Amino acid sequence: MNPSVVRAAGIEKSVPNVDGRLLILDGIELEINAGESVAVTGASGSGKTTLLGILAGLDLPTAGSVHLAGHEITAMDEEQRAQIRGRHVGFVFQTFQLLASLTALENVMLPAELRGDADATSAALELLRQVGLGERAGHYPRQLSGGEQQRVAIARAFASRPTILFADEPTGNLDTRTGGRVIELLFDLNAAFATTLVLVTHDDRLAARCRRMVEMEAGRLVA
Amino acid sequence: MNLRLAVRLAWRDWRSGELALLLVALLVAISTVTAISLFVDRLHRALLAESVNFLAADRYVGATHPIPDDFRRAARARGLETADTLVFPSMVFAANERHQLISVKAVSEGYPLRGALVTGSEPFGSGSAAAGTPKPGEVWMDSRLFPALDVRLGDMVEVGVAPLKVSRVLLKEPDRGGSFFDLGPRLLMNLADVPATEVVQPGSRIDYRLLLRGEDQALDAYRAALRLDEGFQWVGVRESSPRIGAALDRAESFLLLGGLLAVLLAGVAVALSAHRYARRHYDHVGILKTLGAGPASVLSGFMGILLIVGSLSVALGLSLGGALHLVIVATLDAFIPVSLPPPGPRPFLLGAATGMICALAFAMPPLLHLKDISPMRVMRRNLGAAPASEWLTWGAAAAGSLLLLIWYSESLALTLWTLLGTGAVLLAFGGLSWLLLRGGRALGMQAGSRLRLALSGLQRRRRDSTAQILVFGLAIMLLLVLALLRTALIDEWRSALPDDVPNHFLMNVAPEQLAPVEALLGANTSRQGPLYPMVRGRVAAVNGVGAKVWQAGLERKSTGGPIEELSEERNLTWTPVLPNENVVVAGSWWSGDDERALVSLEDVYAEELGLGLGDRLEFDIGGRRLEVEVASLRAIEWESMQPNFLVILSPAALEDFPATYMTSFFLPTGEKAFLNRLLSEFPTITVIEVDAIVEQIKSIVDRVTQAVELVLALVLVSGCLVLIASIQASRDARLGEHALVRTLGGAKSLIAGSLAFEFALLGAFSGLTAAVGAEVTVALLQVQVFELPASLHPALWLLGPAVGALLVLGVGLAGTWRIVSSPPMLVLRSVD
Repeated sequence: MNPSVVRAAGIEKSVPNVDGRLLILDGIELEINAGESVAVTGASGSGKTTLLGILAGLDLPTAGSVHLAGHEITAMDEEQRAQIRGRHVGFVFQTFQLLASLTALENVMLPAELRGDADATSAALELLRQVGLGERAGHYPRQLSGGEQQRVAIARAFASRPTILFADEPTGNLDTRTGGRVIELLFDLNAAFATTLVLVTHDDRLAARCRRMVEMEAGRLVA
Repeated sequence: MNLRLAVRLAWRDWRSGELALLLVALLVAISTVTAISLFVDRLHRALLAESVNFLAADRYVGATHPIPDDFRRAARARGLETADTLVFPSMVFAANERHQLISVKAVSEGYPLRGALVTGSEPFGSGSAAAGTPKPGEVWMDSRLFPALDVRLGDMVEVGVAPLKVSRVLLKEPDRGGSFFDLGPRLLMNLADVPATEVVQPGSRIDYRLLLRGEDQALDAYRAALRLDEGFQWVGVRESSPRIGAALDRAESFLLLGGLLAVLLAGVAVALSAHRYARRHYDHVGILKTLGAGPASVLSGFMGILLIVGSLSVALGLSLGGALHLVIVATLDAFIPVSLPPPGPRPFLLGAATGMICALAFAMPPLLHLKDISPMRVMRRNLGAAPASEWLTWGAAAAGSLLLLIWYSESLALTLWTLLGTGAVLLAFGGLSWLLLRGGRALGMQAGSRLRLALSGLQRRRRDSTAQILVFGLAIMLLLVLALLRTALIDEWRSALPDDVPNHFLMNVAPEQLAPVEALLGANTSRQGPLYPMVRGRVAAVNGVGAKVWQAGLERKSTGGPIEELSEERNLTWTPVLPNENVVVAGSWWSGDDERALVSLEDVYAEELGLGLGDRLEFDIGGRRLEVEVASLRAIEWESMQPNFLVILSPAALEDFPATYMTSFFLPTGEKAFLNRLLSEFPTITVIEVDAIVEQIKSIVDRVTQAVELVLALVLVSGCLVLIASIQASRDARLGEHALVRTLGGAKSLIAGSLAFEFALLGAFSGLTAAVGAEVTVALLQVQVFELPASLHPALWLLGPAVGALLVLGVGLAGTWRIVSSPPMLVLRSVD
């Protein structure tokens, strides 16, 4: 059996509210193995996005521990978690999250530049070609359609050759056809790079493409 | 994040316009400071250079006894130039037996060390700068001596027992200003001729001066090495001419205050644009963090960007400031007859430091907390920044301001009063704008839809709106403060020297000459002052104690210069009416029919000599004794150029003593030939011309006024920049809301109308708070720093809100118009 890439144990997350504290995540236990693809589904407000953020080391749980690629990220400070993200994690977001002031190419080059790689350009150009946007490398996000922006975001996610890719509603802002093409692209690249994939979605078609589905309800994993 | 990446990010931010406002704000701060301080520095040097003309030297050592040769040798050893002058009263006799009391000035080679002697060949005619001084055996004489003695150039006159040839007409003497009350017209002669006159005897009243010229440092070192005892006086511009000293001091204070406010305003603009830049980079940082950038890396990246922007703006700002100051100099060139000396390094240092301090104190705090942005923000937009440390933000800004203010003004008092005023105003503004917003809300309920929308918008962002009213209010307040001070200062200077201020004094008018002289003056001159009788007399005793004993009993003040000599013979006058420009500060003025023998003293004179109301003074007037009681103390406007008297007696006390009369009048430069006629008809009368001094003072005031106006213009630019930065900073929130209203069906005209109302209201509220603040600050500054009386400005209460509304409306609409007229979808996207 493949080693686990993500292991979450006893995850709780609560935030203060008027009645005291609101429990968002309640005792989550989850293990994801290398090469797996996992869909996290559930109704709005069930805690999917919060869980994704904690698994990826973007946020800290109130209680419990998370191991990511063999490191206990819940015991790390923000600086160390950032290093782990830079080395092992790629992201695709519902709202694309491209930097508006950078061209498509510059957006894809960003992870390598942050690592201090000398030549990020050729690898980034190659990735843009793989997502079918080789001709539009010099375009700014505002000059691209939603589907194109998401393809740039996918190219950027794979640019750091991540161990694991987290995707938050990657088709949530796209129409069905465009969403379909983005899904194909995501899974193709995932297969090509042998990346572990964790995605949060409402979209049953998308969830069905994953090898495993977990469902959340009121902060708990129910399936 | 490495520097290369920081550079690339900075470049990309620049390309997308994100950094432009920050850079411009820094640029304005630096170039304003550089330009103002360059100009002030050079103007200051020029003014000082011109002012030293009043001394005919940079400094002088004065004494009533000969100055030792050691002093000269020591001065030359330090590379200082020296010259000697000797001033003493004497009589001059013409061959026709006419004679005149004169003030002789004997000068050595090299005099004057500063300024120039102007001589001519026609009495009261035009002249040119003289080369050198009178040769041995020759004298140069004031114009008025020619008709009085009935002599011409080439004639011989006698001073003491020495026959001397009159070779030139002396038209202007640089250091006449300090001593125009040393009576009698001037006769300038060579120092070498003095022994031959035999008038200088032990005990003669002689004013000895060793004039000095050289670098400030050398002069200061020389003074320190001399260790002058009480018998010598060290005199610079400020000591010699308090009038000009005070005008210079105030002008400098004002220019500094202006420059300082410009820096503060630019600082506010820097802070605002940095805040906006930081806020617009929250997402940016969130994304960078998900991609593996840690807090340290984010921090170093943005500090790198700040460093780049800071260095760039320093380099550009210094050049721009230098260029700007050249433009100013070129523009004012025609009005600045003095040539400006080259600037020192201080303005450039100051400009560079201002840029760095602005970047650190105003721009860094908002950028610092970018490192605390949660990466979760990429999934949850509502996760803003970690709460910005307000202590850090305000603390850094306050510390930065303090540092800049102190360094710039070199005056703790000015700095503290400015900060105190600003601080108090900020507090008051907060409260006031809160109230205005509440009141506006209640009012808005009855208003039309545009106004209601505007008011509810302001109300909804009450915190932001309060802050904006504060910032606008502060900017407008500073502008108003400066405008008011400028007016107050210039009015004061101008009123002290109206165009027809008396520029000639007439003395020694005999009682029988009164009527014909008055008639002649009335027909030929304007603004003739009252005629004052003059009696020479001295104080012999105070309350029965001899004057010398009384004076010896007084404690010498440690700081003051030489105090008045109580027993010195001086001019006394009597008058039933209190002269203009005099204010009774203690006791009361006598009525015209008061039979008592009373005296009124100048307040400073009385204080120095320990005299007060009720003291009994015994005067010795030509051997006759007169006892009078001190009935009042007066404050005198010494700058008024009117005949002023330290000692005025009641008519009952003095009218029986034989007197001569004096008066003052105004004579335009072109009509000086009248003096010839006057003096030929009344040769015993003495005319003292002060028109040259009046002109000199006027030209200094004019120049300073121009500089003051220029500074005001620069501050105005900074103020507008703050407005722009502040409107830019709140643009996104405002536009997001309005785009939403448009999406929901609101017409474009509704949005435009409501935006206009919103800006106008913000401006009006700010203007109102600014008016309150300006009144308080100006009153404080006038009383505490400029030593002017405080005054209220009713017009301000209308002007403030009106100016505020117009300015904010103009700048606000200009900044948002393009986006108001673009489709709402684009707006929503761009601010999302």
